[in-house]
Amino acid sequence: MSETPADLRVQTRTTSSTANRPGAPKGSARTGRTKSRPADAIFKGLSTGAASLIMAILAGVAIFLIIKAIPAITANWTTNPQLTTGVTQGHSSFWTYVAPLIWGTIFVSAIGLLIGAPIAIGIALFISHYAPRRVAGILSYIVDLLAAVPSIVFGLWGIFVIRPFLLPLTAWLNHHLGWIPFFSGQPSTTGSTVLAGSIVLAVMVIPIITAISREIFLQTPRLHEEAALAMGATKWEMIRLAVFPYARSGMISAILLGLGRALGETMAIALIVSPSLIFSLKILTDGRNSQTVAANIALNFPDANDLQRDALIGTGLMLFVISFVVNLVARVIVDRTGPGAKGRKAKRRSAQLPPSDPSTILLTDDAAGPLHTSRPTEGSQPA
Amino acid sequence: MKLKNVAAVGVIALVSAIALSSCSSSTTATPKATATKSAAPTVDLSTLSGTITSGGSSAQANAEAAWTAAFTSVATGVTINYDKSQGSGGGVTNWLAGSYDFAGTDSALNPTQVTSAATTCGAGGGLDLPVYLSGVAIIFNLPGVTKLNLDSATIAKIFNKTITTWNDPAIQADNPGVTLPSDSITPVVRADGSGTTANFTTYLSETQPSTWTYPVSTAWPVTGESAQQGGSGVVSTVAAGKDTIGYADQSSVGTATQAAIQLGTGKTYVKYSAAGATKAFQASATTASNGTTGDLTQKIDVTKITSGYPIPLLSYAVVCTTFKSATQAKLTNAYLGFIDSANGQAVAAKNAGAAPLPASILADVASSLKSVK
Repeated sequence: MSETPADLRVQTRTTSSTANRPGAPKGSARTGRTKSRPADAIFKGLSTGAASLIMAILAGVAIFLIIKAIPAITANWTTNPQLTTGVTQGHSSFWTYVAPLIWGTIFVSAIGLLIGAPIAIGIALFISHYAPRRVAGILSYIVDLLAAVPSIVFGLWGIFVIRPFLLPLTAWLNHHLGWIPFFSGQPSTTGSTVLAGSIVLAVMVIPIITAISREIFLQTPRLHEEAALAMGATKWEMIRLAVFPYARSGMISAILLGLGRALGETMAIALIVSPSLIFSLKILTDGRNSQTVAANIALNFPDANDLQRDALIGTGLMLFVISFVVNLVARVIVDRTGPGAKGRKAKRRSAQLPPSDPSTILLTDDAAGPLHTSRPTEGSQPA
Repeated sequence: MKLKNVAAVGVIALVSAIALSSCSSSTTATPKATATKSAAPTVDLSTLSGTITSGGSSAQANAEAAWTAAFTSVATGVTINYDKSQGSGGGVTNWLAGSYDFAGTDSALNPTQVTSAATTCGAGGGLDLPVYLSGVAIIFNLPGVTKLNLDSATIAKIFNKTITTWNDPAIQADNPGVTLPSDSITPVVRADGSGTTANFTTYLSETQPSTWTYPVSTAWPVTGESAQQGGSGVVSTVAAGKDTIGYADQSSVGTATQAAIQLGTGKTYVKYSAAGATKAFQASATTASNGTTGDLTQKIDVTKITSGYPIPLLSYAVVCTTFKSATQAKLTNAYLGFIDSANGQAVAAKNAGAAPLPASILADVASSLKSVK
């Protein structure tokens, strides 16, 4: 879904603006300043138009999905001639068709996150707290670049590089740890496994999680860090005591945005993983891999008849709902524990004190890149 | 103008010369005679201009690309768009919606589609015209084994997972003297709906009705096997994996190792060849019209194949008898006429590994095309 840095920027801004919003009446400041000029009216109109357009588009997509999905959801799957052939054959209703897909989507994405999130947070910490300034700048640029690689390229890379690369690991894990449900079953000899798909997914979510976490880490109040260091904490202890508590909500929302990316990933999964419509925990087999919603649509849409297309759109509607819930949960977490929440107000005020180390200021500006505007600015603070 | 015509004839001659140069000597003789005839077409191709919009079967895609290149080198004013990402089902759906001039499909229109075609095309309905003949190849990757013979029964049992190891007595019986490993077999199949799957499951259910009890379907019916996207996905997975076996349209097989397939119920095993597919088609196909005048739906009974290659794959172009625009009708008619000429078939044979359709079918198509207006 979100493949370019541009998308990323929008998402980041959305999250951080939520944090800033409570009681920040920017309008009043503006009206008090000068009289309105035509350019003001025009720009206000344009930006209001843009804002309502996105609402209209979202509503349009939702309505389209619902209208198209209803015939398939209400159809009789055991008797309708269009549904008893081909891809939808052998399912008693829409829900038995979509349930394994929802499971597969969440399962594969979760494994991708399990692999990707720790690495991404590690990269972000390295950039914000460990790397020399020059290296940090280059590294964050490269990570941002990773977000711009099209998923079909990741898919091909997965087929030709990751699959054969994982074969020895697959055999080893299955042989020695086969008693764990995840590693059980007949091990793959082709590499077309959930493991391979998840690793590629992990690579795809890393730029998103890294970019957001990095920005949050850089916002850790200088004074907290220095206080920790002054108490005799090592660098790691300082990060644990000062950076992580401050950045917790930001990290969670970064991971959930990464999850959003993983849920909708289509081409890479469709190319790499050998799918079955089943509930399976296995990640090393050829024939027992749970399929994801998006990949299932991509694989079956071309050859589907009208009602099957409706059914596939119906599965897309379910994915839409899941993504919606994930974003809602991210919101709730950010609002509850984020810097904008009540309990955090004291900490926030200190966050506005200028960082004491001048090199950090420069580093922040260098590393920030396109995300630079997303940081909460001092002006938006309620008095 | 005159110079242009001379040039056009020259280009056609050149194209057919290139196309025929790679054919074996036995097949060259027949098309050459007709190629000269088609060099003087009823429609002067160089005067045509416009765009043909089409799409569908990905099995046809390589051949369509070759046909488009050959056709537009003469009919320089014509643009042909063939969207292979649609697949057979998508192609027919778009054609029924009226957005395509013709659709490429690996399975002929079903009764429901025939009815809707009458709505789209008017009373004349839509025609299935055979355009592309090839074969479904069985490919495998078994370290140390380069030659493999397979019975139709063995193939059915491998793909329905009754036979699970390579040294199974049934496989060994077909391959005396070959050392087969005791490793598990990994069957590789299509994850997406496909005409190749439909043709392959037709073969399995017609030759082994008691072993292969699944219905003929564009979606692969057996779960728990390695499923890959597209013919090329199957081929690359079989080639990169170990102990793998899969099926794919001949045009996407490339350098993968092919198994030899049992012919009929005897002890002869054959690999794919274009001539073999043509021979098999001649022996097994009969025209079974869907009720529309001029329709050339073919009923292929693979059990009748006693020589040639036992798993043929036939792909159609579906087209309206009555176009909304006479110009589009003329364009499409000229293009399909070129495809189903000896010359066009030779172009596909050279560039896409297709098997030339027999002359009798080409003649039938030519007469059916007369009703396309």
